Amino acid sequence: MTLSKKEKTFVVAMVVAIVVVWILALPEMGGMKDLKDAGIGSRWVYTFPGSEGSFFTRVNFLTVGVGLLIVLFLIGVTRGIRKTYSIVPNRKQSLVEYLLQYVYDLTEEGISDKRFVKPVFVIAMTLFLFIASSNLLSGMPGIGASIRNGETYLTIFTDTWYVPTSDLNTNGTYALIVLIVSHLFGIKVRGFKAWAKTFFEPTFIMFPMNVIGELAKPISHSCRLFGNIFGGGILVFILSYILKFLFMPMFLWGFFGMFFGLIQALIFSVLTIVYIGTQIN
Amino acid sequence: MEISEAIVQAAKYVGAGICMGFAAIGPAIGEGNIGAHAMDAMARQPEMAGNLQIRMIIADAIAETTGLYGLLISFMILFA
Repeated sequence: MTLSKKEKTFVVAMVVAIVVVWILALPEMGGMKDLKDAGIGSRWVYTFPGSEGSFFTRVNFLTVGVGLLIVLFLIGVTRGIRKTYSIVPNRKQSLVEYLLQYVYDLTEEGISDKRFVKPVFVIAMTLFLFIASSNLLSGMPGIGASIRNGETYLTIFTDTWYVPTSDLNTNGTYALIVLIVSHLFGIKVRGFKAWAKTFFEPTFIMFPMNVIGELAKPISHSCRLFGNIFGGGILVFILSYILKFLFMPMFLWGFFGMFFGLIQALIFSVLTIVYIGTQIN
Repeated sequence: MEISEAIVQAAKYVGAGICMGFAAIGPAIGEGNIGAHAMDAMARQPEMAGNLQIRMIIADAIAETTGLYGLLISFMILFA
């Protein structure tokens, strides 16, 4: 078997990374008697002093921090592509062009009015890029926080990454944005009176049902993504607890991170297109 | 551990198991239907197979949602 220099350095780096993770993980995993000690499902939330219990003064640092990291990563990737931009695309550029083209075709199918194809595409694609890149992190061992006996510990490579999409606040915010934007599109296309009239169809009595139907959209939209990513992270943690993070996470990451993560990101943006499309058409 | 705490703990495990078991019925039937009909369509029109497969996976993931609600509830029963 012949390996090029790049491949050799990759293999050596992988082996070193596995050994380092194992050494780091060993003492902590040994001390963990029960899975309940790991503080599954608890969140590291900081409340600013002097403002007990208020909704707007509580910060989840990991959501904000990892979200910023992903945004910076995406900006870096796009700047890198822009530098080498050409008519004949290289590998990175053709991958991105294929992805954009795929979502653009889906948008053209879903939106009949040609004026609104591009804005809807921009919304759906932005959501897709952020959600996909944060879902890809979700099944890997990484940096997170756990709460044991009322104290917060930072876990480094002994838990899966704490990604923004495994926090219901992030998903709920995106789903609400999609709901509001879809109704703004509806008002713009039909005018306010015709838009308000859609709530009273087919008869006046159906008004509460229509309102509940609209309010149920963001709930199912956000809980679908949240359940997949949060549940996937916990399943990866519980299954690799048996093997102490040696080989299992790579295979589990392939399943929960890449397969489910990318499909859920695609579904989130497809549903965004569909929800906006029902208001426009 | 007092006997009442032990009963609560045992009931949590039983409840989470029952919740997940019942929640898995619906998505299983739905995904089976989706798979069967996608196979039918692929057999009828083999040139559409690639297109159909992507649609099938998307429909699968949407049908899975109710099962995931059950998963969330059972996690909440166990750990929250």
